Amino acid sequence: MTIIQVSNLQKSFGQLSVLKNITFDVKKNDVIAVIGPSGSGKSTMLRSIIHLEKVDNGSIRINEDDLVKNGIYPNDRKIKQITHKMGMVFQHFNLFPHLTVKENLEIAPLVVQSEKIEIVRKRSTEVLEKVGLSDKANVFPAKLSGGQKQRVAIARALMMNPDILLFDEPTSALDPELTGEVLKVMKILAQEHMTMIVVTHEMGFAKEVANRILFMDNGEIVESGSPEQLFSNPKNERTKSFLTKAYQ
Amino acid sequence: MSTDYLVNITIPMLEGAKITILLFLIAIAFSIPLGFFITLLSQSNNKVISGISKSYVYVMRGTPLLLQLLFICFGLPMIPVIGEYLVMDRFVAACLGFILNYAAYFSEIFRGGLLSIDKGQYEAAQVLGFSRSQTTIKIILPQMFRIALPAVSNESITLIKDTALLYAVAVPELLHFAQTAVNRDFTIVPFFIAGIIFLLLTLVLTAIFRWLEHKFKFE
Ligand SMILES: Nc1ncnc2c1ncn2[C@@H]1O[C@H](COP(=O)(O)OP(=O)(O)OP(=O)(O)O)[C@@H](O)[C@H]1O
Ligand SMILES: [Mg+2]
Repeated sequence: MTIIQVSNLQKSFGQLSVLKNITFDVKKNDVIAVIGPSGSGKSTMLRSIIHLEKVDNGSIRINEDDLVKNGIYPNDRKIKQITHKMGMVFQHFNLFPHLTVKENLEIAPLVVQSEKIEIVRKRSTEVLEKVGLSDKANVFPAKLSGGQKQRVAIARALMMNPDILLFDEPTSALDPELTGEVLKVMKILAQEHMTMIVVTHEMGFAKEVANRILFMDNGEIVESGSPEQLFSNPKNERTKSFLTKAYQ
Repeated sequence: MSTDYLVNITIPMLEGAKITILLFLIAIAFSIPLGFFITLLSQSNNKVISGISKSYVYVMRGTPLLLQLLFICFGLPMIPVIGEYLVMDRFVAACLGFILNYAAYFSEIFRGGLLSIDKGQYEAAQVLGFSRSQTTIKIILPQMFRIALPAVSNESITLIKDTALLYAVAVPELLHFAQTAVNRDFTIVPFFIAGIIFLLLTLVLTAIFRWLEHKFKFE
């Protein structure tokens, strides 16, 4: 079942054309890894899906609703309703520094969804356990390591019960020895059939967890396919040269 | 020099210090909210509104507080026709001057705090579904106040010392009584006492802000 349908996406920042003609589908339970060189438009593409960027042209359909159709957006309320079922995890975590871990998790369900405190509290306890941070509930983000911060950020996104999770280089700001604990949580989510789009430089993770890889270069999806096919037998020259460099 | 003498000159000075503290409290209580309001105006998308806010800050920071106080106390009543309605009690006029002036400084401090908040905070709030006002109230303002706290502390200490400007508009405060005693008794001791009282006030203020900064350390 197709859950996200992106077609002919185009976007420029001033003169710079950043997305040239992006078309792809995401099916329910897909784990899609987006790879490609720096500046190729991966973040811009991902951010467009959750409306952190507005595209100039093209369409994005989410759960049969048009977030944008041929460059035309519906009103803010409708947009909010459509993006509501997606969560996003950022490279730099973007936790709320003035709130404890628990408060970071609970604030959106309480403020945005006006859920009952007992229900929210129960869920935050479960979610924290899932990311392995039950002992950090009452700690402020400043006291956490990068890996712990990112796990809190994932937990915070999970509190909204998203259908789709977007990750923009979730491990790129981490010391190498801390990436494992974050990837592990993401693997668990994949096993639980969360639909995910992950922009990443972690080729190992892409290979092991994703069921489809998109290779982007210069604002285009140059090649896409299963990890086996794309990693062992890339068809495009640009993919080949990128992968050679990535493994050096 | 007898203890009696010290007590005798200190008592009126403490009376004067009451005025100083009262002015300080009134000025803080009104200029911080007003300053915050001016910050909000400066963020408006409406060019006229943000322009008014910027001009206000420019004028208030660009001219001496003493000039503003003199203007409110002695200048306003001289305006033709409406002037006679603008005569105020000196202390009230001084409070007004301090509030208007310090609001401009506080608004700049808050604006600085606002600008230093990472745009990732807004993005995180947006993807979690926060509305603009929810983002402002729950996410941005608490951080802004926290960032502003050390600068607000600094500004408050400046304010305590600026209350001495009351002297210039002839409201009897701490310095007034010190100066009177100096002239009358031909001794500089009252100046030292005045200095000590100011230092004590500053000390208390510093301690309060230290405590606030610690309480809202978010660690
Ligand atoms: N807000 C912006 N204003 C102007 N140019 C931008 C903006 N955001 C991104 N760009 C430019 O768009 C291009 C694509 O950026 P994007 O962040 O999508 O790339 P990326 O593939 O995510 O790269 P990286 O791997 O470095 O994160 C880059 O050339 C970047 O400089
Ligand atoms: Mg990027």
